[in-house]
Amino acid sequence: MQGLSQSFFRWCWLTCCSVLVCIVVSACAKQSPPRPTAPPLSRSGSGFEEGDISGLSDPGGRVASNLRDGPQSGGVLQDLYFDYDAYDLSPTEQATLQANANWLQSNPQAKVEIEGHCDDRGTVEYNLALGAKRSQSVRDYLISLGIQSERLATISYGEELPLCHEKAEQCWKQNRRVHSLVISR
Amino acid sequence: MNRKRWLVCDVLSGRWTVVLWTFVPRAILLRTIGRTIGRIIGLGLILGMWSPVQAQIEITVPEPGGTGLPIALSPLANTSGGADQRLGLTFSDIIARDLDLSGVFRVIDRGAYLEGPQGLVPAEINFRHWSVLGALALVKGGISVEGEALTVEARLFDVAQRRQLGGKRYHGQKKDLRQMAHRFADYLLLVLTGEEGPFSSKIAFVSNRAGGRAKEVYVTDLTGADVQKVTSAQTLILGPSWGPGATDLFYISYKRGGPYPYRFGLKSGEERRLSGTVSYGGAWSPDGSQLVISGEKAGNTDLFLLSAEGREIRRLTKNAGIDVSPSWSPDGRQIVFCSSRGGGPQIYVMNIDSGKARRITFQGNYNTSPAWSPKGDRIAYTSQSGGFHIMTVEVQGGERRKIAAGEDASWSPDGRYLVFSSRGRLWIASRDGRSVKQLTGGGGDDTSPAWSARLDRADDGQSRPYSQ
Repeated sequence: MQGLSQSFFRWCWLTCCSVLVCIVVSACAKQSPPRPTAPPLSRSGSGFEEGDISGLSDPGGRVASNLRDGPQSGGVLQDLYFDYDAYDLSPTEQATLQANANWLQSNPQAKVEIEGHCDDRGTVEYNLALGAKRSQSVRDYLISLGIQSERLATISYGEELPLCHEKAEQCWKQNRRVHSLVISR
Repeated sequence: MNRKRWLVCDVLSGRWTVVLWTFVPRAILLRTIGRTIGRIIGLGLILGMWSPVQAQIEITVPEPGGTGLPIALSPLANTSGGADQRLGLTFSDIIARDLDLSGVFRVIDRGAYLEGPQGLVPAEINFRHWSVLGALALVKGGISVEGEALTVEARLFDVAQRRQLGGKRYHGQKKDLRQMAHRFADYLLLVLTGEEGPFSSKIAFVSNRAGGRAKEVYVTDLTGADVQKVTSAQTLILGPSWGPGATDLFYISYKRGGPYPYRFGLKSGEERRLSGTVSYGGAWSPDGSQLVISGEKAGNTDLFLLSAEGREIRRLTKNAGIDVSPSWSPDGRQIVFCSSRGGGPQIYVMNIDSGKARRITFQGNYNTSPAWSPKGDRIAYTSQSGGFHIMTVEVQGGERRKIAAGEDASWSPDGRYLVFSSRGRLWIASRDGRSVKQLTGGGGDDTSPAWSARLDRADDGQSRPYSQ
């Protein structure tokens, strides 16, 4: 009997507590003020300086023609190919570059834009930098074979201008290339 | 993390109450009268007789990817007297899409609603019409139009408690309707999860959807349905990133031959070249005063610190490897970037002042495109293992998490979501990867997403009752 009244008392106590907690929580929710809206973000200053174009320029719209007509392969100068995520020249590619250098030596007025390309695996920005490494490898090798550096410009297209669109190594290896475009003779 | 628990307790009256606990100072009381719970209550009362059971049932929180908190979104009523309900439907549709994207709500299908859009205060709403659908929360409101001027008032109700939890009033133009809806969705997340949502932001991305080989920058809202073409250069435009305040974009454009960095004002439409250095990407500092770009010199790409106007302040890296894809820490004191200085591309963190860099990824031989969470705790990146996957890792290195298959992740302004590209489409994942929803698709190859800050919100006001 005593145990029963004790448990009844205990139950009353617990119930009152839980009711009280619920009321307090509810009141808090009702009264909590709205979170103030964020202050406007600071704006960076305007007003720019524009410098002269140095290095590569594109008076002939070569980017535009590549986009319009699609990327080219081969020509009087042969294309060079690379392994995945690599920009070093294999002995085969070095032999190809010797032939390209011979043509450039017998056409001393010719200037060339060396395009670096990648397959579409990997991220865009890294592939742009990788394409730059590939075109620079080719440029450096041609200079080592005696071609004047001012005849050789470079540009990277990264993975933006594939020759082949299948998702297979057969296709990817055609896209991991350097193409040399003769821009004046 | 804000863990929330449903605490079910009985009270003398036999009414059962569900309390949504959060660790932020905002607790919301919701009461369920769903049938299933009703049965449990009945059973409990019978078994307990005079001494009711002290039942404490804990249900794990609506986290992204779970079943979600059931919410009904009534189309807003047209309070200017006309019969045109389209604006009210649009508002409701946008919120529904945002809440679905959040992964923490289950929006109850509109076809099941038993009550029309009218009734904007608790006394005018028959809450039984909503509780029988299982709704715990309800949004109702009104829209009035005068010429081009638009006033929207939207309110959030606790269905079980039959009371208003909050509301917002927006004044603006008809064209602002979508943005108002996104802001209200942000607000709903604030009230119901304790943290403001990311929906009043935009996502910039690159696409060839205009046809041909050219790529332009586009900006979409979070529904993926309101896509605007930003550039019309008919060349390659790559790697967009946002300036603070979401008013300016940075990108790389081939319009003058080699790829150079540009700044583009979204309101003015004005484009300015930032530097004559050939560049492959860049990111604004959190306060907008500086930029880090990846710049190429003699075939090698390194990171350079520029002023907001494009003046070179300092070269940050100098080594034979590729250094690209800078992303700032929220405090603006460090950057995370990708470098191939050790062989294959890996993720490094650098202190801007000291120039000291440490590597934080050690698994896999191809880890690129890092992005520092606005919460500051984790870094998302792209990793090649089989295919390409979005991963996240703690800033100190250590514990890694696989989020989803894809590339080039960018964080939402609240750090709870990631947008990334996969198979030519953009997707949004919750930060634990449990919820993945498609954002864009079709019409072209969509890549390189960049998530903006929340757009500014000067004309946001608290809701007041229509009639007293």
